[in-house]
Amino acid sequence: MKNIRATAALAVISAFILPLGMPVATGAADQGPIKIAVITDLSGVYAAVAGHGAVVATQMAVDDFGGKVLGRPIEVVAIDHRNNGPEAASKAREAYDGGAELAIDMTNSATALAVSAVAKEKHKLAIVTGGATSALTGAACSKYTYHYAYDTYALASSTGRNVARQSNGKTWYGIVPNYAFGQQMLADFTAAIKPEGAKFVHADLIPLGNTDFSSYLLSAKNSGAEVLGVLNAGADTVNTMKQVKQFGLDKSMKVAVGLLFLSDVDALPDVFSGSRITTSWYWNEDKPARAWADRFTRKIGGGLRPTDIQASDYSATMQWLQAVKTVGSTDADKIVAYLDGRQFNDFYAHAGEWRARDHRVTHEMYVVDVIPKEQIKEPHAWFKIVQVIPPGRAFRPESQSVCKKDW
Amino acid sequence: MGLVLLALGAILPLLPFVYPVFAIDLICFALVALSFDLLLGFTGLLSFGHAMFWGGSGYVATILIAHGVVSFPLALLGGMLYSLVVALLVGAISVKRSGIYFAMITLAIAQIFYFLAFQLTDLTGGENGLQIATRGTLFGLSLENDRVYYYVVLAIVALCGALAVRIVTSPFGQVLAAMRENETRAKSIGYDTDRFKLAAFVMSGTLAGLAGSLYAIGNRLSGLDGVDWHTSGAIVMMTILGGIGTIYGPIVGAAVFESLEYFVSKTPIGDKTNVVMGFIFAVVILIARRGIVGEILQRAFAPKQRLVEDEDDPDRLVPDAEPNPV
Amino acid sequence: MIDFVPALLAQATLTPDYIVTQIFNGLVNGGFYALLALGLSIIFGMLRIVNFAHGAMYMLGAFVAYYGAQFVHLPYFAALVVAPVVVGCFGLAVEVLLLRRLYDLDPLYNLLFTFALVLMIEDGMRLAAGALGSPYDTPAMLQGAANLGFTLYPTYRLFVIAVCLIVCVAVYLVVERSSLGARIRAATEKPELTQAFGINTRRLISGVFAFGVALAAFAGVLNAPNTNVTPTMGDSIIIQTFAIVVIGGLGSILGSIVAGFAVGVLAAVGAVFFPQISNTLIFILMVLVLLVKPTGLFGTVERTA
Repeated sequence: MKNIRATAALAVISAFILPLGMPVATGAADQGPIKIAVITDLSGVYAAVAGHGAVVATQMAVDDFGGKVLGRPIEVVAIDHRNNGPEAASKAREAYDGGAELAIDMTNSATALAVSAVAKEKHKLAIVTGGATSALTGAACSKYTYHYAYDTYALASSTGRNVARQSNGKTWYGIVPNYAFGQQMLADFTAAIKPEGAKFVHADLIPLGNTDFSSYLLSAKNSGAEVLGVLNAGADTVNTMKQVKQFGLDKSMKVAVGLLFLSDVDALPDVFSGSRITTSWYWNEDKPARAWADRFTRKIGGGLRPTDIQASDYSATMQWLQAVKTVGSTDADKIVAYLDGRQFNDFYAHAGEWRARDHRVTHEMYVVDVIPKEQIKEPHAWFKIVQVIPPGRAFRPESQSVCKKDW
Repeated sequence: MGLVLLALGAILPLLPFVYPVFAIDLICFALVALSFDLLLGFTGLLSFGHAMFWGGSGYVATILIAHGVVSFPLALLGGMLYSLVVALLVGAISVKRSGIYFAMITLAIAQIFYFLAFQLTDLTGGENGLQIATRGTLFGLSLENDRVYYYVVLAIVALCGALAVRIVTSPFGQVLAAMRENETRAKSIGYDTDRFKLAAFVMSGTLAGLAGSLYAIGNRLSGLDGVDWHTSGAIVMMTILGGIGTIYGPIVGAAVFESLEYFVSKTPIGDKTNVVMGFIFAVVILIARRGIVGEILQRAFAPKQRLVEDEDDPDRLVPDAEPNPV
Repeated sequence: MIDFVPALLAQATLTPDYIVTQIFNGLVNGGFYALLALGLSIIFGMLRIVNFAHGAMYMLGAFVAYYGAQFVHLPYFAALVVAPVVVGCFGLAVEVLLLRRLYDLDPLYNLLFTFALVLMIEDGMRLAAGALGSPYDTPAMLQGAANLGFTLYPTYRLFVIAVCLIVCVAVYLVVERSSLGARIRAATEKPELTQAFGINTRRLISGVFAFGVALAAFAGVLNAPNTNVTPTMGDSIIIQTFAIVVIGGLGSILGSIVAGFAVGVLAAVGAVFFPQISNTLIFILMVLVLLVKPTGLFGTVERTA
């Protein structure tokens, strides 16, 4: 009997020893390095949009800033949230407890919301660049969160208005995923195209997991609508567009895609050619953009060009570091007081402002067309800017904000 | 034995190198693995849909808190009630079937809950998940402090562990064991095996629901991964890793599994976590399917070599070639 | 929050033409379901193996076609043969080297083992090919649409329906009506007796597993032009396949084929009238069938699993 007790106890003890090998979670010493946690998708569907490139961009900002601020070195910590809300939240908690003063990126709305809640709890700053949901500056707004790059409202108002403006852009057929993101996109697009006299004649609310859009696309064709609004994301968008090409739908309808990134086109150029989308930045839009993009490409290698999310990570990090230096502290409350209402301009954000009302960072947005493979002038030069949308029109007006500002 | 575990559990979060929320997660998984083992190890039913209890009651508990329920026990009870009802309904249609069917059916039904969680955005937050601001209060005691919460959970889990031991060693547990060994014979003796299986399923589901509620409240967050079938798979893996049919196996399995996942995800091969876990599991199934505790018990308990008659020469005694069938 | 949506959901005109077109779409999906359920059922019915990795094999088939096209310019029609052969061989290796050790045990263990395989294969492919997936083009000969009278319908999808039907019927005939099929059925029901007749049961069993897996790979190649070839494309389909197999009756070849096509059509039509729940339709159907006929539509009294 003693034998089994001893060995079993040994097994259990060793099982519990394992967590003891975990990295230390001690409180941050005030003299240790200042840590920036890049919480992003390092291995899943958004790895190309943000991922490793986001970490590289953030590190570039730190290096360009000099690697130190307030006499302390700056350390960039890369964290994989694996597109998992609870995991993002617990890793954010651990990061903040371990000395991180800023969490950045959070590509994937669920993780953005999760980390935002943690930031509020810990009174530390979170700047969301990759996450899309406009709830971050709406129902879930917080003193400690800024929404930096884009959101569903901006996508709708830019793409939607641009396409609806045209004479053959008045009747829309919506391919909409039936969950929060999709419903939000549909609502935002409907509102955006209305002033141009356009409307959705029908919108299919498509269940999750559906990979076959043929029924809906045929229905769209039958409806006679002028515009096909593809308001889904990720793999759904890819599948939809593939089938759009298969049915030849893009020859008879104008295709407006709700959410698309440069890296998506890199992966599947034939599928996306001819689509009209909105982006917050394009690497070849002007000289300063290109100059930065060239440096990024040298750093990351492989000839890859930065997506707008990666550029926004650099921009936001640089802005934060400058704020820290000016304020003389990393205290989030002080930084927020400094940033709120501040206007700025850099290679990424033209006419930028840290809007105080709801912590939406506003700047110019761009409506672009995706150029077909045969017509591009150099690798990754996929976009052609067709319209520049000023910040006042791109983002939800302050007067319409539903943010219950409690700060 | 249980006391050893309890002592270990008690000092766990006090150690400076253990992150308290990780410790909370760990014992919640230990509880769900324990509940799963009640079903698999002791009743012989493989449910591949335990996420509907774990994640589903997590949702119910957080929804209750989000809608103003301040009492922690009440939120837990809500989660457990949900699990109980679901287990009754699902069990009623599935326990009649045998092992493979049962596994497939529970897997498929759990998917219904996944899609429900996805669609009912107003309630569950859909793919954004549901955050809550507070963990509620336990008879006036605030649970916001991680260490305080951990000890509360530890107490609950310890009680459940003791309960599980009682169930297993009770006459009811004996019937379950008999059914697992030979269901036809148990039926012929007169036991209504379906009733017993349903009872075991409901118990397992309710405990899993409790674990899931504790986990969701502990993280102040409910998400779709709670009801994802990969989570069901993880629960299966950690239980088997620890050793099915042993009381403490699942606890060990959960600890090892979670620690491994956590540990591996921090190393440079972190993005290969699934491959690593899948590989370990495959190896365990092939050569060590009794699990960690199971294998240890096997060696410690190995009966002395039995001597039996040699087939060719009845006058000789040789060691038994098949000492312990699995 | 979605209160404005009902106003938008003025139904597109539900003409008979529209519905028939949707039925065709349902037949396409149904064809894939049937092929996959068929493979799974054959493997289970014959070998008592619940192949959780069936969806992963489907995915591998699509990837073989993709990589074949990328590196050796493997044309589509060749891929339809090459991919099943390659994946079949892989399945054979897995069966001979690994699965075989689990035969004497409770079948639950091979379900668990194949589950572990899924994790390794899918994650491995993700590391190799990236999570976003890879494009595969419709073969030139099958591009464009055919005029069916009531609508223009993509030629490729018509091809898929035809191929699925032919393959399903062929497999059914071989298994149920041919002497080879008889031998296979004998080998799995009474292995010792069959062996006594001089039939190499081991080889038959391995062959059947490889064939079942090859069927899945075949379905993968068929679907590659329709959707993106991603490492997780087998993920959700495996659960749907399980449900279909339960509906049709585990181990029943006919059941899998009929259930596959039927569910495909029902889901497509259901998507027209009840779009909200169409992704759970398969599972709801499964629950209904279980309540009414627990052994599945064509299932017989359950052999002890």
